[in-house]
Amino acid sequence: MTVVASSPSSPVALETDVVIEPLWRQRLRIFVHNKLAVASLAYVVLITLFCYLWPIFHPTNQTNQAATFNVTWNAPPSLHNPLGTDSSGFDELGRIAFGGEYSLALGFLAGVITIVVGTIYGMVSGFFGGVTDTVMMRLLDAFLSIPYLFLLIALLTIFNRTTMLLILVIGLTGWWGNARIIRGDALLIRNLEYSQAARSMGAKRMHIIRRHVYPNSISNIVTVATFSIADAILFLSALGFLGLGIVAPQTDWGTMLQQGTEQLQNGYWWEIYPVAAVFILVVVSINYIGDALRDIFEVRLIER
Amino acid sequence: MLQYIIRRLVQSFVVLLIVMFFTFSLPYFQQGGILAPAYAIMGTNATKARVAYWGQTHGMNHPFIVRFWNYFLQTFVHFNLGTSYKQNMTVWQIISLYVPRTVWLAGAALLFTVLISIPLGMYQAAKRNSFVDYAATGSAFILYSMPSFLLSMLIMDAFSFHWPHLPNSPPSGVAPWAMFTDPKGFILPVAALTLLSVAGLSRFMRGTVLEVLVQDYIRTAKAKGCSNRRVLFRHAFRNALGPIVTILGLSIPALFGGALIIESVFNYEGLGMQTVNAAVNVDVPTVLGITLLVTIMTLLGNLIADVALGLINPRIRIEGKNS
Repeated sequence: MTVVASSPSSPVALETDVVIEPLWRQRLRIFVHNKLAVASLAYVVLITLFCYLWPIFHPTNQTNQAATFNVTWNAPPSLHNPLGTDSSGFDELGRIAFGGEYSLALGFLAGVITIVVGTIYGMVSGFFGGVTDTVMMRLLDAFLSIPYLFLLIALLTIFNRTTMLLILVIGLTGWWGNARIIRGDALLIRNLEYSQAARSMGAKRMHIIRRHVYPNSISNIVTVATFSIADAILFLSALGFLGLGIVAPQTDWGTMLQQGTEQLQNGYWWEIYPVAAVFILVVVSINYIGDALRDIFEVRLIER
Repeated sequence: MLQYIIRRLVQSFVVLLIVMFFTFSLPYFQQGGILAPAYAIMGTNATKARVAYWGQTHGMNHPFIVRFWNYFLQTFVHFNLGTSYKQNMTVWQIISLYVPRTVWLAGAALLFTVLISIPLGMYQAAKRNSFVDYAATGSAFILYSMPSFLLSMLIMDAFSFHWPHLPNSPPSGVAPWAMFTDPKGFILPVAALTLLSVAGLSRFMRGTVLEVLVQDYIRTAKAKGCSNRRVLFRHAFRNALGPIVTILGLSIPALFGGALIIESVFNYEGLGMQTVNAAVNVDVPTVLGITLLVTIMTLLGNLIADVALGLINPRIRIEGKNS
């Protein structure tokens, strides 16, 4: 059987006639195909909406300690307080939303800082190579040898603790691992044929970074960014446990979990399990979305 | 090989100096500058004259570079890390008292982690998409996404306050060998720390073995008639060991960080608790000393991991020699 390519009336479609699905549509299809990833995304969106909208529709007192004296503390769930009250008399359901605003926003912002700084550092180091790379990598080695949690504690006790400082400290100390991953990518890509071709045609370094290195390492950047957000939320909660989290009267999920665990032996389950479930599921979901994102950038999975 | 080790040791020393410079300059940025500890020791009502006197006796009125040089000499020539501002002990005494305790805890957890996660990861890779694989991946995902303090608290609630009523805290004496004389108290903290590390390492092991299993030499081994068992243990396992050794060397800071939370939950006086207390009390020499020590341990861990890698995999050793 022969196909006459030049004949427009041929019933067999020409290869050029086949509409190639744009890359982002193919990637979206792979993502949507992964049911668990879609569920995770839906869950994260739902919880985010809940945290920011619930206090508007159902305002509860979360900051005024004096107003809690006519409320039963540690009250079990009832119609008035769907998830009971905590050990300070605050409504637990409203508090999950109230603390979630801070956990999610801080985790997101700190995660974004880690990825931006890590990407720039890694790309410059990997792409320029030579002495620049050696110096930058030895510096990174030094950072990586400092126990992370120890450094966080030192920084948070040294400086006056504010919400802004928490974002900056978690963000500016969390990018070391990211920088290393991105640097590996940049190192690989700069020696590939298309980068060499661009260089031989006289392209400037920044142009090659922008047009070749960055787009080709975007898969790692996006994946690492997702994991960074999950990690930042976790670190914030660990700081909350050590009493170095958000300053009262604000709160975050870590601080709530810490206060809840203090009541664990009293049998006040509503102070720990709901917020623990919400928290763990959010981190699991974000991690799972990261896994799914890594899959959609995997070229081998794209059906052509 | 010797040349490689020496070169790495020199590099590690440079890294150590950078860390030292970084941590040494941190107190300059705190509120009240480097005189802040004076208020922590003598109270906030201390007069200006007394604070100034304290600064003078502790050498605070020298310029930064002189102080750093003095600290450098003191540390590397006299092996003296200074005296704690808050406790009536030298930093060496604090370290020699609490380091063994943390090392026993973290070491036991590391041992169990390796013993559990390597076979588990290999089993998962060999029986991919089986029920066990899904169950292990799922639980690893949840453990990995759980704050360590929450896991420890839940473990404590379940196994200490309910059945089987294990002690909720290790013995409080400072004897470092308490783990062997009274192991019952250590079951829960070691278990918690092990669970936390197993989640990450078994996932990593599974991924590494899976990557090795698609290589050409595995196909060759299968083609010449090796049994599945032989392929897995003789060919896949040995090639997967390299990344695992590297990741173990890199996991030392994380292990100490994890131990910090576990110590705090199970009320175990170790290095982590000492650091937190020292940081809260602005006890600068103690924080600096402990940070230096953990950095040295990390660097040595990485070095040992790399040397071990060279012994396992001859290709890497040759590469190191040439460059």
